[in-house]
Amino acid sequence: MDPWFDAARGPFRLTPHMIAIDGVSRPGILHDVSFEAHPGRVTGFLGPNGAGKTSTVRILLGLDRPAQGKATIFGFPYASWPRPLTVVGALLDGSGAHRARSARSHLRWMAASNGLPRSRVDEVLEIVGLTGDARKRAGRFSLGMGRRLGLAAALLGDPPALVLDEPLNGLDPAGIRWMRTFLRQCAAEGRTVLLSSHLMTELSSTADDVVVISNGRVVARGTVAEVTAGHDTLEDAFLALTGAAPR
Amino acid sequence: MIPVSVPGPRPLQSMVGAEVRKLLGLPTAWVGLTLGLIAAPLLVFVNAPALRRAIESGQIPDVSDVGYENLGIGLLGALILGVVAVSSEYTSAGDDSPGAHQLTATLLAMPRRGQMLTAKAAALVLVAAVQGALTATATVLLTRTVLPVPPISPSRVAAATLYWCLLALLAYAVTLIFRNGIITLTVFIVNSSVVSVSYLLTKLTPWAAYLPDIVGAHMFLRSHPSDVAIPPVTAGVVMAAWVAALLTVAAYLFRRRPA
Repeated sequence: MDPWFDAARGPFRLTPHMIAIDGVSRPGILHDVSFEAHPGRVTGFLGPNGAGKTSTVRILLGLDRPAQGKATIFGFPYASWPRPLTVVGALLDGSGAHRARSARSHLRWMAASNGLPRSRVDEVLEIVGLTGDARKRAGRFSLGMGRRLGLAAALLGDPPALVLDEPLNGLDPAGIRWMRTFLRQCAAEGRTVLLSSHLMTELSSTADDVVVISNGRVVARGTVAEVTAGHDTLEDAFLALTGAAPR
Repeated sequence: MIPVSVPGPRPLQSMVGAEVRKLLGLPTAWVGLTLGLIAAPLLVFVNAPALRRAIESGQIPDVSDVGYENLGIGLLGALILGVVAVSSEYTSAGDDSPGAHQLTATLLAMPRRGQMLTAKAAALVLVAAVQGALTATATVLLTRTVLPVPPISPSRVAAATLYWCLLALLAYAVTLIFRNGIITLTVFIVNSSVVSVSYLLTKLTPWAAYLPDIVGAHMFLRSHPSDVAIPPVTAGVVMAAWVAALLTVAAYLFRRRPA
């Protein structure tokens, strides 16, 4: 399917939201999960470990299939984009690189697969601050450096949308601040940023919108202020919503 | 911001290029390439004295086979290439994230699984073909410098190269089915060097000569230890059919399994 033209829907139209999860279900894991992430905003996908965040993100990126519902990016499933790296940048667990491969070699094959210029590899290494480690093997990277390499891969295609699963895991305080600033800047440039996390306090200072998931169900969504309403902090709201609050 | 993706066909060519780059970026692939390229020509010199005596005493049924029989060890290179092309996708990324592997990045860059597998197979065939052609030519030419054998036959070198590619694809398909390179390498290496189960089976039934790991050699060898004569074209077709069948099973499983 050509993402720019769909015979059933007519010529391509700009959809108001870049990322849409629509009634996605997987038996025992996700139950009718629906939400959107909008351009120019950081959307936090919040939930305790095992709530279904990673499952949802993997379905969005075409790595797993939903039993029901659909997940689209700009109105189309991830896999229907001919050069997906130019549409969505994704960061999942680990750096994504084979441990025997250098950072540069990993990014070069990824760039080649989507017809991106070689020069872009050095640009993204510069953005994430790995220029000096470009020849180092990914297996010798620290956890934080691995996350940066993963982010470099996500930025290769200069995508208008970013999907990051627990991007703060393994980062030191300086790294967390760097990531927060970076994601805010991406949103300010008009990109759609979706990030999952179980770290409430970090998310409350990074996200504009929040989607709270618990036991595979969306229990709240809205702006940070809306979701926090009636509670002292986003953390209190989260604990109350997910049923983990001390009674 | 809107996507900058432009309409047009899926860039299969760039996917093949990426897979070639990916394969050649692995140190283990270079072990396979080097081993494949060096072992067979070296074996020519090691075997030369014994072979010369055998030729002179008339113990070799078809002297034209002599140069090609040394190719066997070089085929290990094709096997290793086929195995690492797949096993590297499943290697754990490290202690920090034991569940992570390269396959995730591969499918994010090339989300259509069938197309990704096609591009990967094409890249493997390209690399294996170059290695096979170079090794076969070098081995046969070297043999002629040390032994009284007939001149090089381009069609037999081409057949050996084809066998090289098919064997690489066979290892590729089997590794994709097991998602583990150790199993494939063990089975193939034990079967080809320590004790050939397939060859032993030919003692029970001549049909065993059509098993995938031994039928292909009939494409470029005229005499064969199993004494079953299979014409070169038939051997090629049978081996290609085995490879096609195993690739189909592997692709079917790959598309249904979680990444």
